[in-house]
Amino acid sequence: MRGVDGESGAQLVTSTDVRDWDPGDGRISTPGIARAPGRPAAGPVGPALPALARDRAPSPVDWSEVVEHFREGLVVCDARGVVRHVSPVAERLLPEVVADAPLAAAGLPQLSAGGEFTHHGRRLRTRLVPLSGGRCCWYVEDVTESVTRADALLAERARSAFLAVVGEKLGNPLHPDRAAAAVVRLAVPTLAEVAVLVLAPRSGRARWWRATRADDEGHTVDSGVLAAVDLPAAIGEGLAGAEPHAVDWLVEQAAEAGWLPGLAAADVTARVVPLPGRDAPAGVLLVARRATRWYEPADVDLVRAFAARAGAALTTALLYRDQAEVADTLQASLLPVEPAEAAGVQWGTAYRPAQAGLRIGGDFYGSHRLADGGSVFFLGDVSGKGVEAAVFTGQLRQCLQALHRVESQPARLLKLLNDALLETTQAHGQGRFATIVLGVVRPHRDGGLTLTMAGGGHLPPLVLRGCGTVEPVPLSGMLIGVVPDPRIGEVTVRLAPGETCLLYSDGVTEARGGRRGDEQFGTDRLVTALTDCHRMPAPALAERVEQVTCDWLAHGDHDDIAVLVLRAAGPGTRAARHLHAVPETRETRP
Amino acid sequence: MTAATTEAGPAAVFPAYLHCLQEADEYAAIEVARGLLDAGVPAERVLLDLVAPAQAEVGERWARNEWSVAQEHAATHISERVVAAVAGYADPRPTRGRVVVACMDGEWHALPPRLVAEVLRLRGWQVTFLGASVPAAHLVSYLHRHDAHAVALACALPMRLPHAHRMIEACRRSDVPIVVGGRGFGPDGRWARRLGVAWAPDAPSAADLVADERSLRRTPAAQLSHLVDDEYAGLVRRRGELIDGALADVRDRMPASRDYTPAQLDSTVSDLGYILDFLAAALYVDDGTLFTDFVAWMAGILTSRGVPAAALPMTLGHYATVLRDHPRAARFLAQARATVTPAGAG
Repeated sequence: MRGVDGESGAQLVTSTDVRDWDPGDGRISTPGIARAPGRPAAGPVGPALPALARDRAPSPVDWSEVVEHFREGLVVCDARGVVRHVSPVAERLLPEVVADAPLAAAGLPQLSAGGEFTHHGRRLRTRLVPLSGGRCCWYVEDVTESVTRADALLAERARSAFLAVVGEKLGNPLHPDRAAAAVVRLAVPTLAEVAVLVLAPRSGRARWWRATRADDEGHTVDSGVLAAVDLPAAIGEGLAGAEPHAVDWLVEQAAEAGWLPGLAAADVTARVVPLPGRDAPAGVLLVARRATRWYEPADVDLVRAFAARAGAALTTALLYRDQAEVADTLQASLLPVEPAEAAGVQWGTAYRPAQAGLRIGGDFYGSHRLADGGSVFFLGDVSGKGVEAAVFTGQLRQCLQALHRVESQPARLLKLLNDALLETTQAHGQGRFATIVLGVVRPHRDGGLTLTMAGGGHLPPLVLRGCGTVEPVPLSGMLIGVVPDPRIGEVTVRLAPGETCLLYSDGVTEARGGRRGDEQFGTDRLVTALTDCHRMPAPALAERVEQVTCDWLAHGDHDDIAVLVLRAAGPGTRAARHLHAVPETRETRP
Repeated sequence: MTAATTEAGPAAVFPAYLHCLQEADEYAAIEVARGLLDAGVPAERVLLDLVAPAQAEVGERWARNEWSVAQEHAATHISERVVAAVAGYADPRPTRGRVVVACMDGEWHALPPRLVAEVLRLRGWQVTFLGASVPAAHLVSYLHRHDAHAVALACALPMRLPHAHRMIEACRRSDVPIVVGGRGFGPDGRWARRLGVAWAPDAPSAADLVADERSLRRTPAAQLSHLVDDEYAGLVRRRGELIDGALADVRDRMPASRDYTPAQLDSTVSDLGYILDFLAAALYVDDGTLFTDFVAWMAGILTSRGVPAAALPMTLGHYATVLRDHPRAARFLAQARATVTPAGAG
């Protein structure tokens, strides 16, 4: 998460960290001395650093000639600090140092400090080696090139690391607004102190996001909307796909638009790059920072590479959002509708489709009010899973919506439904069928309910009696949508006030879980879970069935789960007075 | 009755309210809450000083076996209706961004996050409450469709922590800041820190944290390097086999268990499973106290339901023997066993 906070790893390692590395090729032969170069030239030398031994026998080789070709220059001083010898290399690197003058007179305070310093545009590395007789020798090496190479390597490594973080952050599908905010946040501080993203205008208005470096560890992100005509000309050019190069002009425009808080226009360098989209740019990114960190060609390349990734992320996000909107609308029309409020009935429902991300499935339930004060209610399950099954449940619910107006006797209504489905499935040449329990509930003056139910091959409902026992309702019948004249069972159940009837789909009883995850939940366990639950309100009971089923599944895969509960609310319920005042705040259920 | 008791505030009506929960009287409970609101008690105080402590008491009564599961569920349902009524009464207008509140997958204790949702709503956020046991896929697809300023996730049981972590990671990938809460993260949020996620001890702190995006995003990295020892993954893989073994052990050593009804057998199996799930969670966050606390709690539950006190240490001992090649698991089991073994026994 550090990258989001603006501390991408790229910033944390700098080239100075590696400059002291031993190059590993033997050029620094006495690391003990090289690592402690800070001693003053005339300082005492401890016994731990004995002077190098002389050659045992004089050699015919002219050493001074050999030494002249060393990559390191030599400056030899005597015990009083007077320069006695300067090699040609040292002469070139340190022209101020002359023989027979005190070294101090050369005016090189960096030299007495030792280590590395920049001199006449070259990077020099020095080390001091004590010689016999109080003399000493400065070795001076020009390391400009290797330091440049190390810097370039590190900068390249930092750029790759930065782009890797960007790829990771923007690689996941995001909400478009999140993606836009992430783009500007990632750009600061690596690319800019202020980053502004302007999205391509939609109907004359352009949305923008801006990240500003706040202090050492954070940044602030804000956003807003601008009329497309008010956009600075450079941004307009960028949105047309061009990359403006007149940088001063750009800074002026951006500063004028008030986009660069905390940066003085005179002291700013800025760049604008388009973010590639599907056909036209998805937007434009403006990056600005203090002129002390000019945008070098490599920096501009990095900004472009960043823009390419940001553009792809924004395009994906917009595409995803558009498709999600379509899918959402279609899904909403296929979700079960909560039962309509009915006198004397307390409804409870639970719905958990097999594919959680999809939120729709092949189970369905619902109710329609009848003119006589009763209600038609139903719960069923169509063959198949996923979108296709959900579409079929939609057709089925629409059939019932129309048919209940002409027929409210459950068995006859179910027969009509069967005929309608048979016609549809034969027309489409596909064998779709459904199981369903369809009933009519009518309230009584005493607060009880009468339920007349017809069975279309579905699991028989359960009734929770006032004494706490659970009874299955003897209801049989054949599948709907398969044969022209199916056998349909019918049964009438009387619920006393406070008693409950529960309809459920096979996703409950066929849930696989238990010790090995392969045992079916089964009707017995369901009955046990419901025993003594007769006092529970209907919504709580529906949720209990959902919960015990999901606990049994223990995160395993499952079929669609649907539960519909009707409870005889009892006499003198104060539902009418209170429930209108209670908004249903639960917006969506998985 | 309500008029007489509301003068003094939530504490005074607490017994009356609890009685409504006990009687499963939804409308009387709502009336108690409305009485407080009418008397000028702020909605946030009604939620946090009446509904929340009453719900905690409901949990206690279930743990002491004074209330059945059915009673607990009914009371929870009524609390939810009261929360909805209080929220409807206050009816705040959203002035700030969207916050999504949800229970972790598998987590059914929806009331505490619901209270957080309402407190956020009262503070001007546009809140979407996704309810109990929200599958990660559903949450993530919701976040893709609706830009959220933050997500608040609840976890009441530490045994869900590994799943919670997966869900947190899924939200992270959507680049939405997360705040978590609930007892599942430990009394001081220590397991939230282990998972590298911002934690709030209660609803008002959660609201404060959501309002401070920079501290929400400034979370330390997760500390889960101990997972390389594969003990957690191994335990999860062997879960079914371990339960089978433990069940056989129970049958061997406690002959009475051979005559269990199917329902008793199921609850024994699920208890044996809970022990493993909590042990797995303790391995996941590498904290033996998670497991020890659970075992102490379970000992209380089992005692209140008439299960012999020796049963739990016996099963812990069995698991310790079978898992002797898992050093961390064996250590956690031994520590927990020591706390529930009666002096002189074991």
